[in-house]
Amino acid sequence: MSIRQNIRDFFHGAAYGAYERELRMQAAELNDMFLLLCYMEVVGLPNPATLYLLDVYPYLLEQFHVWHKRMGMDRLPLGNLPCC
Amino acid sequence: MRNLLEKKVLFFGGKGGVGKTTCASATALAASHAGKRVLLVSTDPAHSTSDIFEREIGPEPVKLLPNLWGLEIDGALESQRYVANVKEQIKSLFGHHILKEANKQIDLAASMPGAEEMALFDRIGGLIRGEDTRFDLIIFDTAPTGHTLRLIRMPELMEAWIRALSRSRQAMLGIEQDDKTDPVLISLTDRLEGLREFRARLLSPRISAFMLVLVAERLPIEETARAIEQLNDAGVTVGGLVVNRILPATSPDPFLQSRHAQELVYLDEIDRRFAKHSRVRVPQLASDVHGVKTLEALSEILIPQPQPSRP
Repeated sequence: MSIRQNIRDFFHGAAYGAYERELRMQAAELNDMFLLLCYMEVVGLPNPATLYLLDVYPYLLEQFHVWHKRMGMDRLPLGNLPCC
Repeated sequence: MRNLLEKKVLFFGGKGGVGKTTCASATALAASHAGKRVLLVSTDPAHSTSDIFEREIGPEPVKLLPNLWGLEIDGALESQRYVANVKEQIKSLFGHHILKEANKQIDLAASMPGAEEMALFDRIGGLIRGEDTRFDLIIFDTAPTGHTLRLIRMPELMEAWIRALSRSRQAMLGIEQDDKTDPVLISLTDRLEGLREFRARLLSPRISAFMLVLVAERLPIEETARAIEQLNDAGVTVGGLVVNRILPATSPDPFLQSRHAQELVYLDEIDRRFAKHSRVRVPQLASDVHGVKTLEALSEILIPQPQPSRP
């Protein structure tokens, strides 16, 4: 690793280290929001964009898994979605 | 009405049974005579276009006459095609396990209410964006008014929706990673571009116009007035009105005479209320329009061929 990279990492850590937990939580919340917008009809809300989201579903599968684990659910409570 | 042929996209709408399909077909025929390569698209599930041209028309453009193609699009079929297309697209991008799960999810989402309408909308969008470069003019013979106006409002609605989604995704990425290559964001951005272009072409008075067909009766007049209001609201250009099936004044029959007298009142009302828009009157023909011959007569009334100019 170059010295430049080291210095950059140092300042990054100094600036963001203290806030990392908060930032992570905020990111997680935004992530949840996005998932909800994509999977609205799973919770019974009509979503006009469903068809345009089909091709992003595979990318979201993993995030979905992360979400229900993070929410403290070993298995997915929404029966009709294919996850564990 | 001749300047209509300079447009790229024409819609024909109006109350059920006023003769949308006939007028759309006749205009398409006139345009093809004028040397335009025309695609006549029917979005009405009743699909009467194939009855008028007396031949099968399917989900792919079929050549009907020189310079004239026909196409019938159907929501259920379009939604199947759309889903098959997405599955094909993601096939090479993911592993077996993810694909299996994702395909289940895709099938589920595609069976939701609204998916068919959405697929129909997507196909129309593709046509309006000019994906098929074989055609100079695309004429849509639409389903009765209410349904079509919803469809015309959809690009706006969808654009707002996808924009919100892509903002949400961007906000998240901004914190987590500084990555411009997120495939989800790329897909959303592509959609947004497509929708913007769709809307821009739909709202451009140079490219698109909406024709309203009516007959001289109370209910069609009211529906036309409402449709004009909504089209103005949406920003879509009204190309003009076709007042269809006007009875002849010369009949000695007292019943027809009384109908004609009433019709005159309505015709007067139409001229008054829709003075801003160009109007063309089409008389009731001696026989119903069926087959290319009778259609020719109607197309000559709607859009007269230019007289050959003298040197």
